Amino acid sequence: MGHGEFKVPGGKLVVADVEVDGGEIIEVELSGDFFLEPPEALAAMRDALVGAPVNASTMLLTERVSHAVPEGAVMLGFSAGDVAEAVRRALA
Amino acid sequence: MRPGAGHEVAVALQRLGASARLERWRRYPWQLLTEPPETPTMHMALDEVLLEAVARGARAPSLRIWEWASAAVVLGRYQSVRNEVDEDAAAKHGVSVVRRITGGGAMFVVPGGVITYSLYAPLELVAGLSFRESYAFLDAWVVQNLRDMGVEASWQPINDITSPGGKIGGAAQTRRGGAVLHHVTMAYQLDGPVMTAVLRVGREKLRDKGIASADKRVAPLKAQTALPRERIERQLVSAFRDLHGLRQGAVTDSERKLAKDLADAKHASHDWVHLLP
Repeated sequence: MGHGEFKVPGGKLVVADVEVDGGEIIEVELSGDFFLEPPEALAAMRDALVGAPVNASTMLLTERVSHAVPEGAVMLGFSAGDVAEAVRRALA
Repeated sequence: MRPGAGHEVAVALQRLGASARLERWRRYPWQLLTEPPETPTMHMALDEVLLEAVARGARAPSLRIWEWASAAVVLGRYQSVRNEVDEDAAAKHGVSVVRRITGGGAMFVVPGGVITYSLYAPLELVAGLSFRESYAFLDAWVVQNLRDMGVEASWQPINDITSPGGKIGGAAQTRRGGAVLHHVTMAYQLDGPVMTAVLRVGREKLRDKGIASADKRVAPLKAQTALPRERIERQLVSAFRDLHGLRQGAVTDSERKLAKDLADAKHASHDWVHLLP
């Protein structure tokens, strides 16, 4: 289980706990002091990261996350890229 | 802090104009809710029940002043218990751990040590404002009033009420149906040693803030004014009344019953508190 944290400059803290098996992410827990509406968007982001290769670039992880964010969802204090950065750090 | 971010938001609010801003507040028959001290889980549940009551038009927009019956760590909706709290230390010090329905960071509260209030309002109060702007808009009356009391308070994006000596408090919001919940906790007096024992503050977070510990970044009101806590509370209520209009109301029996059931079934449950383990 890898643990990664990223404090967004001028924003919030994003924390990723990542479990890896067979070269892929098999489980992700995302947490932090950010604001997110609706709450269901968190599970969508988490699910989108499962299956990503452990050597995925931050850009690829960002794409996965941003595609998963439901339309109309509001992220305050963090972005898809910040989630990717926290995950990247957890994988390092 | 990204330089200029606070300024941009201030400009957006200026554009609304002072009278238009006041007019938005004055549209509603605001009700004041002041109840005896409640347990932390009951406070969490009351916020949810009262927000829903305003959302379905069953209750007038309301300002609720909280009194805490016991000490608690109040986690943000998306925080992990493990990352934020030393649960053994919390148990040892009689501090319960609860999770609120809004995002944001963990607050450490003790009876008499904080000022906490909630606003429950129709979304049209913040119509046309971004989330970021709505924090500034909904906090403006408090910041102004603290300044009138001689506290050098200012608003800092995204959701902080701060001062030259450190952070005074923070706000958090969520929306449900056609209503917004905006609640604020401000530190009046710190129990630094217990707070430091119970809250885990990670190095990554401190790196950005440039400070060494959780209690150093908080500047409680008591260090900034001679006014007792109850007096500050009364003064904030009276300022709200003068600016926006406010009548005494009460939590109804049915709201209290709903909240009690929700407190037991959800807010006191292991599943909800450890939603993120």
